[in-house]
Amino acid sequence: MSGFDAGGSQLDASWFLLLAAILFILGTIGVLIRRNPLMILICIELMLNAANLTLVAFSRQLQNSEGQLFALMSMTVAAAEAVVGLAILVDIFRHRDAEDIDDLSELKG
Amino acid sequence: MAIAIFFIAAAMAVAGGIGVISFRQPIRSVLSLVVVMIALSILFLLLSAQFIFVAQVIVYAGAVMVLFLFVIALLGPAKEMARGRLRFQTWLSALFVLALFGLVWAMLQGVQYRQPEKTDLNTFGTVQWIAVYLFTNYLYPFELTSILLLVAAIGAIYLSRKEGDDR
Repeated sequence: MSGFDAGGSQLDASWFLLLAAILFILGTIGVLIRRNPLMILICIELMLNAANLTLVAFSRQLQNSEGQLFALMSMTVAAAEAVVGLAILVDIFRHRDAEDIDDLSELKG
Repeated sequence: MAIAIFFIAAAMAVAGGIGVISFRQPIRSVLSLVVVMIALSILFLLLSAQFIFVAQVIVYAGAVMVLFLFVIALLGPAKEMARGRLRFQTWLSALFVLALFGLVWAMLQGVQYRQPEKTDLNTFGTVQWIAVYLFTNYLYPFELTSILLLVAAIGAIYLSRKEGDDR
């Protein structure tokens, strides 16, 4: 009941969901343990991709268009996020060396 | 056949994901992330999402990753220090992540899917099929996305202007 046909053989949607969960978890680990701000942005991209995989897997399972459209929107938002995040990062690095994310704590007050 | 492709792509994705978080140099992490993107695009093809596959390759593996590579080339090879100000940070995050994964695992066990809709599978996921929805039901979000991209472009130009160039 939970499978769908792909090129003649039966695939299970929950495999895709499990893989997406593993990738999301890997991204979370990266955000938590890496110190370089650039690396944290890269790991956020990984998490966004995992979320996209979930959306497309549900779209195929339910044969519904909304999952793919949402994946498209989230791709656009991820691209915008990468552009602005990298611009901020370049601006910070231009003024001083911030190799550690803890060096950027002025906004804490 | 499809099952074999799925497992190969899944292994590629997980290996790339481990590479992203374990390489010390950012450039290697970015290249690992490209591997993940390619593997995910193969999976999108397996899920018969052709347009998302193309968009993934062009937008992510192409544009976004090139942007990251440019920034790394601009900033130079930054070495990352292993020290953290928070002691036990690795162990705490491992604990947190294990709890999160357990939660997702538990939710996946009893998952019940809704009855699939009756869609014509010959057109499912094609450009034409996506475009019909994008330009009818979802026209308003689509137009808002263009404004979002415009704002992001203006923001990036503003942030990366030269020092003291406030005209």
